[in-house]
Amino acid sequence: MAMAALRREGRRFATPLISPNPTNALRSSLIPSQEPVSSGVRCISTQVVRNRMKSVKNIQKITKAMKMVAASKLRAIQTKTENSRGLWQPFTALLGDTPSVDVKKNVIVTISSDKGLCGGINSTSVKISRAIHKLNSGPEKENKYVVLGEKAKAQLLRDSKKDIELIMTELQKNPLNYTQVSVIADDILKNVEFDALRIVYNKFQSVVAFLPTMSTVLSPEVVEREAEAGGKLGELDSYEVEGAETKAEVLQNLAEFQFSCVMFNAVLENACSEQGARMSAMDSSSRNAGDMLDRLTLTYNRTRQASITTELIEIISGASALEG
Amino acid sequence: MASNAAAPFWRAAGMTYITYSNLCANLVRNCLKEPYKTEALNREKVHYSISKWVDGKPQKPTIRSDTPED
Repeated sequence: MAMAALRREGRRFATPLISPNPTNALRSSLIPSQEPVSSGVRCISTQVVRNRMKSVKNIQKITKAMKMVAASKLRAIQTKTENSRGLWQPFTALLGDTPSVDVKKNVIVTISSDKGLCGGINSTSVKISRAIHKLNSGPEKENKYVVLGEKAKAQLLRDSKKDIELIMTELQKNPLNYTQVSVIADDILKNVEFDALRIVYNKFQSVVAFLPTMSTVLSPEVVEREAEAGGKLGELDSYEVEGAETKAEVLQNLAEFQFSCVMFNAVLENACSEQGARMSAMDSSSRNAGDMLDRLTLTYNRTRQASITTELIEIISGASALEG
Repeated sequence: MASNAAAPFWRAAGMTYITYSNLCANLVRNCLKEPYKTEALNREKVHYSISKWVDGKPQKPTIRSDTPED
């Protein structure tokens, strides 16, 4: 008996959910009213909508809070990023940027974030990394990945498992600083053999615009080779080298320092883009939640109105039947 | 490297330029006076976890934390 009652209850709860038309659902929940019913059964479909509205409202609150947090983080990191641009600019002026250089051992440093909910910036950098991998692949060529951040790791694991050389995560536990990034750069230099490092990241342009960017850092041997071939790097010979150091040493020191500076800027730019992307993503999701809430409120009110109208009609028709 | 004899002492010790410059930077930070010294030292915290991959399999990750000399 108890089971049967339970089943009946279950059916009654289920009908308004599967029924596409709320007014029909209301009718069907009215039909078995000859049996003893608990109070509130009549309003069951409005109850569901009300619960839904509550959850949507909560989600909206959360996304709004996340947007606020991202906005305040963005402001702090944006000044840092803009200041750090001064670090790589002299290097580009001195050594030039040579994205088209053709070398044997390419190492692609993909920079991504550890956390999600920040739009498409992680997939963009992964996509660019894959494109570079494809572009530079060929016989007698080696392409390796160095991955920074959980999100790019998850995406690259799927198809490029065997090309991954190093993975680094948990970068942003403390606020980003040069020491940390330089230690990371040092680890990369020590653990990976390369002719050219290609650092892929999202350059921060504005809160809504991020440019997927590749910076190339050459190994000292390649710099020397390119310098002999002429071009932009050929001007290196016009610099006077002071002290007892040879040109190769100076170039090696320069290349290492350039790498850590470019990495510092890249990590900062990517973190900045992450916060910007998160901000706009959260903004649009709270807007969507608001729209949804409006639609649900409309449905809720209409259903309520309909049930009131039905009840009134029942009462009036009952009264007129008694009169007539 | 061109000639090992002329190589700087820190490179002979197996350091890269980055490690060397970090050591120097840390020395300079230690020369600051007190309220600024702790501030500058606290700013430069290192924390990340690194795992090497060999043949498509991850090795055990190691965590580098608060060791600027590492």
